[in-house]
Parts: sequence; structure tokens; C-alpha cells
Amino acid sequence: MASFIDFRNPPGSDRRADNAVRATAEPRWVRRTLIGIVLGFFALFLFLPLAVVFQGALAKGSGVLIQAFTDHDILHSVQMTLVVALIAVPANTAFGIAAAWAVTRYRFTGRALLMALIDLPLWVSPVIGGLIYVLLYGRRGYFGPWLSAHDIRIIFALPGMVMATTFVTFPFVARSLIPLMQAQGVEEEEAALTLGAGGFQILRRITLPKIRWGLFYGVILCNARAMGEFGAVSVVSAKISGKTNTMPLEIERLYNDYLFPQAFAVAAALALLALLTLVLKTLTEFENARQLEASRRVTLETTIEPPSAA
Amino acid sequence: MSIEIQSVSKSFGAFPAVSDVSLRIETGEMVAFLGPSGSGKTTLLRIIAGLEFADAGEIHFHGDNVTGKSANERKAGFVFQSYALFNHMTIFENIAFGLRVAPRSRRLSGEKIQERVTSLLETIQLPDLANRFPSQLSGGQRQRVAFARALAVEPRVLLLDEPFGALDAKVRRELRRWLAEFHEKTHLTSLFVTHDQEEAFEVADRVVIIDKGMIQQIGTPEEIKSGAGNTFVRDFLALHI
Repeated sequence: MASFIDFRNPPGSDRRADNAVRATAEPRWVRRTLIGIVLGFFALFLFLPLAVVFQGALAKGSGVLIQAFTDHDILHSVQMTLVVALIAVPANTAFGIAAAWAVTRYRFTGRALLMALIDLPLWVSPVIGGLIYVLLYGRRGYFGPWLSAHDIRIIFALPGMVMATTFVTFPFVARSLIPLMQAQGVEEEEAALTLGAGGFQILRRITLPKIRWGLFYGVILCNARAMGEFGAVSVVSAKISGKTNTMPLEIERLYNDYLFPQAFAVAAALALLALLTLVLKTLTEFENARQLEASRRVTLETTIEPPSAA
Repeated sequence: MSIEIQSVSKSFGAFPAVSDVSLRIETGEMVAFLGPSGSGKTTLLRIIAGLEFADAGEIHFHGDNVTGKSANERKAGFVFQSYALFNHMTIFENIAFGLRVAPRSRRLSGEKIQERVTSLLETIQLPDLANRFPSQLSGGQRQRVAFARALAVEPRVLLLDEPFGALDAKVRRELRRWLAEFHEKTHLTSLFVTHDQEEAFEVADRVVIIDKGMIQQIGTPEEIKSGAGNTFVRDFLALHI
């Protein structure tokens, strides 16, 4: 999943490097060795494991596959994964737009802190992400007594799993929007404002269409991470197969029970979802890079002042 | 529609962008704010439009106190230096935007919008470009579309921020003449910001010279050219002759 973390450099930002290759090129043997090492590393650590997953899933023939995906517990884990993603991703899309909007449009105290906090889930281990919710909402946690008095269950249930997933996947939408919105500026929004448009009209008719590819990109990343999340969810889920297991947790359960073909079958399904995400991501990257480039070109063009007529 | 600026001040942090400016612009006048970059002229224009809010002072449009009103309630047309066209919309939709977002009670019918936009496209002499996108237009064409878009909502005043700043000298002169003719016909109260004195003297009825957030001199082009102003005005004008 290493390629999912590359949003620090917005899509298209390193295109310029291509032109520099010729002038600063190293001797041929250095280049070849370097490319060789990279490809070898890629094969060993990324491609091979993925191939093994699919091989493992198909090793015992389609009978096991069919059996695996008619099994109640496994199907339930697929359902749980989809439900969690279906709540966490839209929530983070809304939060992400709001955070990117606040950070790029306003200057306020705590702005730098907010920028840093957006990244926090990337820096801390997901396990900690899960643990803080146990400390807050668990039976002996901060809100625990109140919650059990009102018979509300968050930890070891769906709400906790959604919260933990939301925590871990928070940065993705915000982080893919911030560079884009910074590059685009606010002039179109200002123009809409002077034409009489209200805040919601501006968001719907101007801002969202402008950022739609960046937004789509962020949502895809967020979704991939939400479906694959293991650490944070494993802390807040009781790991009851058929009740609170998501696909990654179910894979672990099957593996620990020595049900290797089934484990590989679920793993392959999860990997397939990730690969689908990767294809969508690559497609949006092209479009996003094109738009970012276009908005840069417009800014550049208009800041060049012609020589004074006199 | 007259514009009255009463003791307006605005600072960005410790930097005073506009300091205690008072000015009255009469109905139908075309006034230029002339000054070097960083003089506060654009900030003053943005305060009048409602895109910035003054720390102190008031803005009145024909006796109507708009100081606390948001830009979308002021009905002040604004033309940006970089056009700020909506890149994802056709030229037609760009011009129609202000009409489409009007409150339901005041919104024109589809046919009326079609009519208004078509007639504006003729006014700016680009009747065949309705279905193009902004990226397919030249700088001069884009700026004319920006004019049409601002005019579509029948603004009470027209505010122009360096309207010709990003254009080459020839297109600039053409558009300048076009703007002067347009103003001659409509007498829409207009204010434009420029750093180019030739532009200010050619188009404006009155020129307001601004530096360090303060008005240095106000007068007709003739009065200012006669050389009466303070040291700053004389230096600033001499620099460009």
C-alpha cells in the first residue's frame, strides 16, 4: 500500500523532473544498477506477495472459493467491511472538504495546529487510534459509565469500528484537496459572490466542480484504506466471527484456524478491491494533474505584466 | 448611483493598507484609482465591493449604508485582473451565472436569460463564442466575457481591478476605448484601479492618486497633469513620462 501515501506530492508535481534527466544524468552503469535495484525490490516485496495471494486463493480449485464465499461468517465480514467503509468514507469526505476549506480559505489561530493534526493519524500507529476510543468509550473509559447507564454500546460494536476507521482514514481527503485548493485560489468564488451567489450555491456550482477530480482521488484513497484497516479496528472490535469481524480481521481468524485456502480467498478479494482502487486512482491522477497544470498556467499567465506603455 | 467612502481604514496585521480614506463618487462618474503597487488601491476597491471588510469607516451606495453587507447583497459588479472566469462552464453559462443564482422570486425565465446573454454577447462583440470554454479564448476575449458577466446582473456600480493589466499593449488600447465608449452610452458609475497613468488619464473623468493607503490628490486628468500635486505625485508622474 506504499503507493497510497504519495499525496504529499500532489499528482503531477514531479513531472518537471522528467526534463532534467538529460542534463544531470549519471553514468550508464549507475542508472542501470539503480533501476535494477528498484525493480528487484519491487518484485520481491510488492509483486511477489500479491501473486502469492492469488495463487494461494486458486490453489485448491474453485470449489474452495465457492465454499468460502457462501460461508455465513465470511460473507458477514464482507458486509461489515462495506458497511464500515460506507459510513466512514462519506463522513471523511465531508470532514475533509470542511478541513481543506478552512485551512486554505481562512487565516485563524490554531491553523498551523490543525494542519499538523490532519496528519496525525499517519504518524501514530493505528493501534493507538483504536486504543484512544477504548479509553474514551470503553466500559472503564471516560464516557463508559454514562454509556452503559443509557445502554449504548460503542466499543466491541459497529460504532467503535466506524470511529476507529474514520480516525485512521481522516487525512486522505483533506490532504489531496489542500494543495489543489491552494493552487486554484479563491478568485472564482469571489467572482461568484459579487454576482450574488450564496455560500451553498458557491460550494455546489463553483468549488465542487473545480475540485472534483482531486476529491474523487482522495475519496478513493480513503476508501482503500478504510476497507483494508486492521490495527485500529482490531482493538475496538471484539473479533467475533459473524458479528464484528471485517474482512482483514476475518483473514486473520481464518489464518489462525489453519484455514489457509479460505484465508487466501478473502485476502484475494480484498486485494482485488485494492487493485480496482489503484486503477481508478491512476486514472484520476492523469485528470488531476492536467487540471492542476491548467490552473497553474492561468495563474502564471495573468501575473505577467506587460511592459509599461510609456 | 453615487458611492460614498467615509473614513475607511484597513490593516493587514501591523501593515496599514488603507488609512482614513474619504471620497465621494458621483452618479455616472468614471473614476480611476492610480498608484504604485502596494499603495492600497486594490484593497480600497475590494472594500467597496465587500470582498474585504474595513476595520473602521462606512461605505454608502446612494445613501444606502452597505458597510456590513456581504458582497452578494451589494449589487456591485466586479471585474478581476485575472478575469476569474468559471473554467468549467461555457461562455454562455459564465455570463448567465448571476442570473441563475438569483433568488427564485427575482429569477428570470430561461428564455429571458437566453435573451439577455445573447444581447450581452453582442455588446462585447463575441456573439459566436457562446459554447466555447474560457480556456479556448484569448486574454482580451476573456476580459470582455468578464465584463459581460458582471453586467448581466445589472449592477448598481461597476468596479474594475486592473482590468487591462494582463493584456498586451494593443489589445489594451482597444479595450480601453471600448470601455470608454461603453461608459459614454450607459453612464454606469464606474471605478477602476490601475498603475498606468496613461490609462487613467485617457479613460477617467476624475483620477484619485493613492499611495501608502492615503489619497495624495484628486482631480480631473487636466488638473493633475498641470502638475499641482505634492512631492509624491510629482515623482510618481515624472517616473512614467
